[in-house]
Amino acid sequence: MERKIGVYICECGPNIAEKVDIDRVIDAVSPLEGVVVAKRYKLLCSADGKKFLEEEIKKHGLTHLVVSACSPKEHEKTFMEVCKNAGINPYLFQLANIREQCAWITDDKDEATKKAIRLTKAAIRRVRYHASLEKKEIESNPDVLVIGGGIAGIEASLQLTSPDRKIYLVEKASSLGGLITNFEKTYPSMKPGSDSIKQKIQDVNKNENIKVFTDSEVEEVLGFFGNFEVKVKNVTEEDKTVEFNVGAVVLATGSTLFDPEKTPQYGYKKFDNVLTSLEFEKMNISGKISLKNGKPPKSVAIIHCVGRDEKGYCSEICCMYSLKFVRYFMDKIPDVNVSNFYSDLCIPGKSHQKFYEQTKGKNVDFVRSSDVDVTKKGDKLGVQYKDENGSKSNLSVDMVILAPAIEPTSDAPQLAEITNISQGDGGFFAEEHEKLGPVSTSTEGVYITGCAQGPKDISDTIIQAEAASGKILSSLVPGRKIEPEVKTSHISESLCIGCKLCLSVCSYGAITFDEAKKISVVNEVICRGCGNCVAACPSGAATIKHFTFNQLYQEISEAVQ
Amino acid sequence: MSKSKDNSDGKAAVISAKAGVKESIIDFLKKAMDKGVFDAVLIPMRVPAGDSFAYVLIKDKTLLKDGVPLSPIMSVQGAKAVSSVTRLGKGKMKIAAVMRPCEIRATIELSKLGQTDLENTTLISMDCPGVLPMSDFLIDPEKNIKIFNEAVQKWDDAIMRPVCQICDKSSMIAGDIHIGTLGAKKDTFFIISNSQKGNDVMDKLDIVLKDSIDSWQAKVKNITEEKHKKREKNLKDLKSKIGGLDNLLDTFSQCINCHNCMKACPICYCRLCYFDSDKVKHPSEDYLQRAEIKGSIRFLPDTTLFQMGRMMHMSLSCVSCGACEDACPMSIPVAQIFSMIADEIQGLFDYVSGRDLDEPVPLVAYKEEELHEVEDAND
Repeated sequence: MERKIGVYICECGPNIAEKVDIDRVIDAVSPLEGVVVAKRYKLLCSADGKKFLEEEIKKHGLTHLVVSACSPKEHEKTFMEVCKNAGINPYLFQLANIREQCAWITDDKDEATKKAIRLTKAAIRRVRYHASLEKKEIESNPDVLVIGGGIAGIEASLQLTSPDRKIYLVEKASSLGGLITNFEKTYPSMKPGSDSIKQKIQDVNKNENIKVFTDSEVEEVLGFFGNFEVKVKNVTEEDKTVEFNVGAVVLATGSTLFDPEKTPQYGYKKFDNVLTSLEFEKMNISGKISLKNGKPPKSVAIIHCVGRDEKGYCSEICCMYSLKFVRYFMDKIPDVNVSNFYSDLCIPGKSHQKFYEQTKGKNVDFVRSSDVDVTKKGDKLGVQYKDENGSKSNLSVDMVILAPAIEPTSDAPQLAEITNISQGDGGFFAEEHEKLGPVSTSTEGVYITGCAQGPKDISDTIIQAEAASGKILSSLVPGRKIEPEVKTSHISESLCIGCKLCLSVCSYGAITFDEAKKISVVNEVICRGCGNCVAACPSGAATIKHFTFNQLYQEISEAVQ
Repeated sequence: MSKSKDNSDGKAAVISAKAGVKESIIDFLKKAMDKGVFDAVLIPMRVPAGDSFAYVLIKDKTLLKDGVPLSPIMSVQGAKAVSSVTRLGKGKMKIAAVMRPCEIRATIELSKLGQTDLENTTLISMDCPGVLPMSDFLIDPEKNIKIFNEAVQKWDDAIMRPVCQICDKSSMIAGDIHIGTLGAKKDTFFIISNSQKGNDVMDKLDIVLKDSIDSWQAKVKNITEEKHKKREKNLKDLKSKIGGLDNLLDTFSQCINCHNCMKACPICYCRLCYFDSDKVKHPSEDYLQRAEIKGSIRFLPDTTLFQMGRMMHMSLSCVSCGACEDACPMSIPVAQIFSMIADEIQGLFDYVSGRDLDEPVPLVAYKEEELHEVEDAND
C-alpha cells in the first residue's frame, strides 16, 4: 500500500507560532518519503481546525496523519476522533509535542525550531510503522462483589440489589452480622443494636438477587471496572472454589481490636476481671455482668485510649461506647462506681455532647490521666495513674474494661493485594482521596466502606456504604458497554522461553502460564497495556501494540540522528 | 537450599579416601546409585578421542569409573547440561549433577528463570582450582591433562584461565552437597550437606554429619581472600583499560559478530536472540543514512551494541564462569569484562547470582528504597 502521509503543524495561537519557525519545519519535512502534504493551521483543535483536518484527509486521500501540536495528553484523542470521522484508522496517527517540549521550554527560536523538526521527523518515521488497531466492545457486568458481611457489607448489598444486578456477599465467618451482633444497644439512642441488624440480615437472606457465601474467602480478583473475574473459596471445604464475574468490588471487611497484651501495663491476660470492650459487650449481651467469682462488680475502671500511642491515631468511637457501657451499668447495677481514664475525650457531633452530659453523674467519674498501670491488689485490681497535675494516685476496682484501638483485620494486606489497592495510615485501606474520593480507591471499580477504611461508628459506616453504592449505581449501569484497552501486550508463542518473569510483574493478573506449552499467555481483555511485561521479558517475546520495538526504534533513531 | 553460607558442625563428615580422592568421590556416587539414592549421575567425562571433555548423563553405573569430577577444561557449562535434562520438567529420574560452584550457581540462576526444574536433581559441587583456557589445552591435551593434575595437587592457579585466577567464589556452596578437598587431612575429603535434600542423601548412605570443617573453612577463607584481592586489583586495571566510550569501542572492535559467547553462556537462554532476529536487519536506506551522517559505516555493524545488549541482559545473572571468553575466537576478555560489570550491577542490589534459590532476581523484585547510588547527586 502506498503511504500518503499528511503533516499538519498547529500554531496554537501565538503559543507555537511565536516560538517555532513553522515554515522551516514545513520545508524540512516536505521532502520526506511518503509525505504528500505539509501545512500550518492556526488552531487545529478548534471546531474549524477539526473540520479542516477532516477535509484535508479526504481531499488528499491520506493514509496516515501526523500532527505537530501540543501534548498527547491534551489532544491525542481529539485528533484520533478526526481520523475516525475522516475514515482512516485512528492508530495510523502520531502526535508530535512541539509546544510543551519545544515552544515552552526555551526563548531560543532557532533551538526550538530545530527540535520541532526532529520531533516531527521522528513522528513521520514512526507513523510509517503503525498498524491499524480495532477497538472492541464488551458488555459491562453490572454485578457486584461485596467482601465482608458486617453492617457495612450488608447495607451496601441492600442498597445495590435490583432485579438486573446480582450481588455476591462474601463473609469469612459462619454467619452474617459482624461485630454489631454483639452490641445490646447502640449509642446515642440506646436503641437495641443487634435487633436492627437482625432485620437487615433477614432482608439479605430473603433477597434472591443477593447470593451469600459464608465461611468463605475471596481468593482472586482479576480484571478491571466492569469486568472482574472472581474466585471465592469455602474455607470449611478447602477444595470448593466458586468462580463468577462482577463489574465492581466493595471492600467492607471491618476491623478488629488492638491486642492489649502488647501493652502489658494494663494487666490484660495477666489478671482476672481485665476485659476488652468487645469481651465486655459479649458478657453484657449474654445477660449478666459479673466478675470471675460470679458476683456483680461494685467498682469499675474503663481505660480509654489503649494502644493509641502505639498505633498513632485516635480510634474515634471508644469514648462514646465507653459512655454507653456506663449506661449499661446505670441500668443494671445502679450503685456501681465507674471511673473513666482517658487522655482526650472524643465526643463530637450534634448529639454526643448531650449523651455525655446525661451520662455524667454521682457514681461516674472522668479522670484525665496518663501513665495508667493496672496491678493486682488482693481480691481487687489497683489502678495507678498520674492525674492532670502530674501527681500520682491510686484507685481500687473490681473490674477493668480496656478500650483498645481499632485496627484493620489481619487479612487486610492480603485483600489489598488481591484487589490491587493500597493500604494507608494504620494499615487501613487507602481511599483515592481523603476528602474528594473517600470511598473510591486507586483501582477503578474497587470501593471501600466502614471500618476497613478507618475507625468509625455505625452511622458513618452506613453513610459510606450508601456512598459506595451510589458510586456504583451511577457508573455501572446494566447494559452499558465497555471498551477494553486496545494497546495490549502480546507474547509471541515462538519466542517465549517460559521463564515466567512477566507473571510476577503484571499488576492486573492478565498473564497466565500454559503448562503444556511452557509459555506465557496474555488475556487481552484484562491487559491494560502498562508494558511491565515487555520491560521484564528477557527474550523479546512480549511486545505491546502501538509501542513495538520497531516503532520505538524508528522513532528514536530519527530523533537522535 | 538453605540461605546459610556458614557450614557449622553437624553438617559435614570426613570421608576416607585411601584409594585416592577422585576414586573415592566416584565410589561415593556409585554407592548412592547402588542404593537407589540417584538413578543417574551427570558428570564430565573425557571424550573417546581424548582431546576434550563432555558432560555425560550416566545411567549404567559401570561407566561411572570414567567420570572426572574436576575436568581440566569447561567445554560445556554444566548448567546448560542440567537445563537440557530438566527444562521441560523434573522428570522421573533422580539425578546427581557433579559440577563446579560456578556451574551450580548458573543452574540455580536458571531455575529462577524457569529453565531448570531441580526438584529431582541434587547439585553436588567441588572445591574448584579453575580450568585451563580451551585454546591452551587443545595444543596438547595429553600433556595438559598432566599439567592440570599437577597444578590441582599444588592448588596453583597460575596456568588457569584469567577469570578463574580471580574467582572469589571457587568454594562457594550453593547446591545441596559440597565436596571439600581443601584443608583435609591426607587421604580424606569433607562432604558437606547444605540442604534437606543433602541431609536425606547422607541419611540414606549412613553418613553421619558430625565432623568439624574448621580446617576447610580456614583454608577456603585464605584462598578466597587472596583471590578477592587479586580480583579487585585486576578488575580495576581492566576498568582503566576499557573505561570510556573510545576504549570500549576499541575493545570490542575485534568482535567478528560470531555470537559464540552468547551460545556458550549458560544464562543466555532466549529462544531467539534479538541480535539474530530480523529486528536488527534494516532496509538499505537506513544504512545509507547512517553512512551519510557519520561519513561511513562499518560492516558487520553494531558489534558493540550486541555486546552492550548482552551485558544489559546478563550482568544481573552472570556467574563469571568464563565460558564466553573460552568461546571467543578473537581473545576478547569478555568474561573479565562481564565479571567486572556483574560485580557492580549485582552489588547495587546486594545480589549474588545463583547464591540462593529463594532470592528473587532483582529485575522483578520491587523495593521502594534502592538504586540511590545511581541517582543524580544534584537532585
